[in-house]
Amino acid sequence: MSCEWRQRISGYVDNELDPASQKEFSLHLRTCPECSTAMLEEVTLQQAVRSAGRRFHAPPDLRLAVENKLRPRTRFGFAWRWGLAAACLVVATWVTVFLYSQKDDSLPAIAELVDLHVATLASPNPVDVISTDRHTVKPWFQGKLPFTFNLPELANSPFVLVGGKVAYLHQSPGAELIYEFRKHKISVFVFQTKSNKPSPLTLRKNSSFTTAAWEEGTLDCYLITDATGDEVRQLASMFQDANRS
Amino acid sequence: MSGTSNEEFERLALPLLDPLYNFARWLCGDSDEARDLVQETFAKALRGFGGFQGGTNFRAWIFRILRNTFLTSRTGLERQKTSQEDEGVEETAVSHETPELILIRQADTELVQTAIGRLPLAFQEVILLADIEEMRYQEVAETLSIPIGTVMSRLARARKQVRRHIVEALDKQS
Repeated sequence: MSCEWRQRISGYVDNELDPASQKEFSLHLRTCPECSTAMLEEVTLQQAVRSAGRRFHAPPDLRLAVENKLRPRTRFGFAWRWGLAAACLVVATWVTVFLYSQKDDSLPAIAELVDLHVATLASPNPVDVISTDRHTVKPWFQGKLPFTFNLPELANSPFVLVGGKVAYLHQSPGAELIYEFRKHKISVFVFQTKSNKPSPLTLRKNSSFTTAAWEEGTLDCYLITDATGDEVRQLASMFQDANRS
Repeated sequence: MSGTSNEEFERLALPLLDPLYNFARWLCGDSDEARDLVQETFAKALRGFGGFQGGTNFRAWIFRILRNTFLTSRTGLERQKTSQEDEGVEETAVSHETPELILIRQADTELVQTAIGRLPLAFQEVILLADIEEMRYQEVAETLSIPIGTVMSRLARARKQVRRHIVEALDKQS
């Protein structure tokens, strides 16, 4: 290896060179097979290490122990939460049965997503990234989802972002974002579309939940809440605007 | 600690539980020890959160607590004693020809994990923070309390050792 630029490869791959040097090196790579091979090797190795190194996840009991330490609860409070979780489970079962009996072939995903929404509300840890800042929540999904999406600006709106987590629908990963509107919780699910056919916003309301489904670009979006249709339409429109290409 | 500080700590620390556990698990090599280390880290960080300066790097701060706690544990002390860090490890000529690239591409996850697991502590912690946690050099330097230049040289050597392990293992197989 004789090229004098060789020593800059790690800095370039790690994006640690200043912008001008980064650009300069990038131009150099076009003309130097030696450096471009070495760079490719460095990137390949880094990707292999990154993927193999993310090996361990905190076990659920550790998560629970840490959370209990952070949020000490009274005996009554703890029992009350369990009671609420059990009640929500009953509601979830009832909702599933109810929705199944009224199954709508045009939106087969909705029933499953309502279950996920109710399970989220029943969970003591409804979100894995807790933040009201969309610039914190969106980057959290990087590397966890095979696609990207935008979150709407909520300034001057009645909605508050609570956080998000990864959700699965038909074995495909997607984002579940939780919003608050007064005392109502709203789940917005974002998945990668499979049809590539844009479809307009469709609002549905049964006795328990308001749901909305729409397709925007490469995204399949669903919204589930017990809030009313007007608010649903407003938040859904904000999502559509944020992701319009 | 006030309720607000507690909530702020929770907001900052809980999303880091998985990365901290992953880091601890690699350092300790044992799930029970990693679990204890993470719990102790959270307890220490919560107690010391009053002294944490807002606006500075929380991730580097809590990773530093975990790492310092590990270094004073029995496993940490043993690893420091047995770790063949050897900062002056001889530079070996590494081929940058395409066959090596092909070998790296062939490496399966288990082989790469073995290579990471065999790294001396000083190299392993740098590669875990830079390549897996995707920390900037500056953040790694803050976490480990070492100069940026040392981060760069340890990272280069860590990668070289991982690469060498992969290439040698696959060469033996073929």
